[in-house]
Amino acid sequence: MAQSDLLTLTIAQAAPKLERGELSPVDLTDAMLQRIGAVNKQLNAYITVCDQQARDAAQAVERLIHAGYYLGPLTGIPIALKDNIYTRGIRTTAGAKILSDFVPDEDATVTARLRRAGAIIVGKTNMHEFAWGGTTDNPHYGTCRNPWNPERFPAGSSGGSGAAVAARTCLSALGTDTGGSIRLPSAVNGIVGIRPTIGRVSNYNVVPLAWTMDTVSPMTRTVEDCLTVFEVIAGYDPLDAHSAQVPLSDYRVEMGRGMRGLRIGLIRDYSLTHVQQAVGDAVRAALRTMERLGAQIEEIPMPSIHGNISAQLTIESCEPSTYHQEWLRTRPQDYGEDVRTLLEMGEMYLATHYLQAQRYRSVLRKEFLAGFSQVDVFVTPTLPFTATPCGATEVVIENDRKEDMLSAIMQFTGVPSLAGLPALSLPVGFDPDGMPVGMQVIGRPFDEGTLFRIGHAYQGETDWHTRTPRV
Amino acid sequence: MANSKAPVTRESIDRLCALADLSLPGERRDALVAPFGGLVAAANALSRKMAEASRRGVLPITRFPER
Repeated sequence: MAQSDLLTLTIAQAAPKLERGELSPVDLTDAMLQRIGAVNKQLNAYITVCDQQARDAAQAVERLIHAGYYLGPLTGIPIALKDNIYTRGIRTTAGAKILSDFVPDEDATVTARLRRAGAIIVGKTNMHEFAWGGTTDNPHYGTCRNPWNPERFPAGSSGGSGAAVAARTCLSALGTDTGGSIRLPSAVNGIVGIRPTIGRVSNYNVVPLAWTMDTVSPMTRTVEDCLTVFEVIAGYDPLDAHSAQVPLSDYRVEMGRGMRGLRIGLIRDYSLTHVQQAVGDAVRAALRTMERLGAQIEEIPMPSIHGNISAQLTIESCEPSTYHQEWLRTRPQDYGEDVRTLLEMGEMYLATHYLQAQRYRSVLRKEFLAGFSQVDVFVTPTLPFTATPCGATEVVIENDRKEDMLSAIMQFTGVPSLAGLPALSLPVGFDPDGMPVGMQVIGRPFDEGTLFRIGHAYQGETDWHTRTPRV
Repeated sequence: MANSKAPVTRESIDRLCALADLSLPGERRDALVAPFGGLVAAANALSRKMAEASRRGVLPITRFPER
């Protein structure tokens, strides 16, 4: 196959070719490494590219396949990892100067599971410093840019993973999501990303941001590919104290069940409120598609929904500041200005602020669980605006009013994070400037299967996920 | 900190730095007054809601999955 054809392959398309020996993992890996070489200067999606390790791993996997040891659908699949996920023998910076020389001697559990499944790690992706921010405007490793328009931001904190997948430099990338850091870059880069239920995927050996909200999960171009990677990394891990002993579903069977009979909830005065026109239009059109496929739409009140941004900011301030307490005193000059300021403020909240925010999570979760007696999922936009120019700290959503980026970007993604619910972001259209729009689907605890089902049925009817960015 | 009209001043930042044993240069303390004031005003508003009598039985979630 020509290199340009290799770049278009999804995991679902590449895996059977690899299994049958029609496609070499070495050729596929080489194509991705060449693509990284061609675009990374412009996008800054990778902090570290693993040229030699990836080629060595691809050759080893090729030998396994030739010997009849096909390990499953990730065998020989090039994957990137966000740079806060430990990789044995490969530098893991968390996007920080403070960890610029850190080479772990152990993998994260998710890394180990990917390696065991035969995946090829092609590189470590750029991110917002220590994952504490939503722009991936990284002062130490460079500003990451959006492949749909390099003047626009890729969101964050997993912005490098989002840009890497959208730019066809890997078939999937892992990100981490505390308050939206997988779903936000998935939306603005026009790809799929899932935040799992807390406890579903191990956080072991992942540099933390906020312990009570952190998760790890895949970003891909299709929902089916997302499921394929998710199946490999999900499941109980005794090394992670938050890991849940909840059996995995047969996600592939669930995914094929289609949209018919599903009940989709809109949160009254919230789901489609305070969004840019193009975002609202795209999500409303997606809802019409879902209705046409047999879903029913219902509006559900959720009286405590407002308050989520403050709760998220409070928790996401206090927990990182606790983790960073020593470095903030001994190496404050080594932080970027925005993260340093956030960490300083996180030291100043009162204990009562933090605990009231954690009590708010109980209220919010209870309202969601009550809502799930009437609907199977809730839908919102992933974020209320499309990609802003790189470096912007404010955004206009409506009425020409400028708003603080950090609060505005959390409008929708913070809610499932606080309530401990899984949420999928998938592409549902473009704005007039050609920038992608994402829709968020929020599910019951540990019901990622219904999210895959809805996303897969939607992608079977639409072609947003097949569009290619200009870079 | 109890005055909800101006919850954060340079003096309150000084006191919080002392309590946290966090040594910050004067210009950094000045720069924190406005953004932290916004955060604290929002946190106080949430705290008032959560302190209502109807919510006295609500427990904090500090660990997922819920046990």
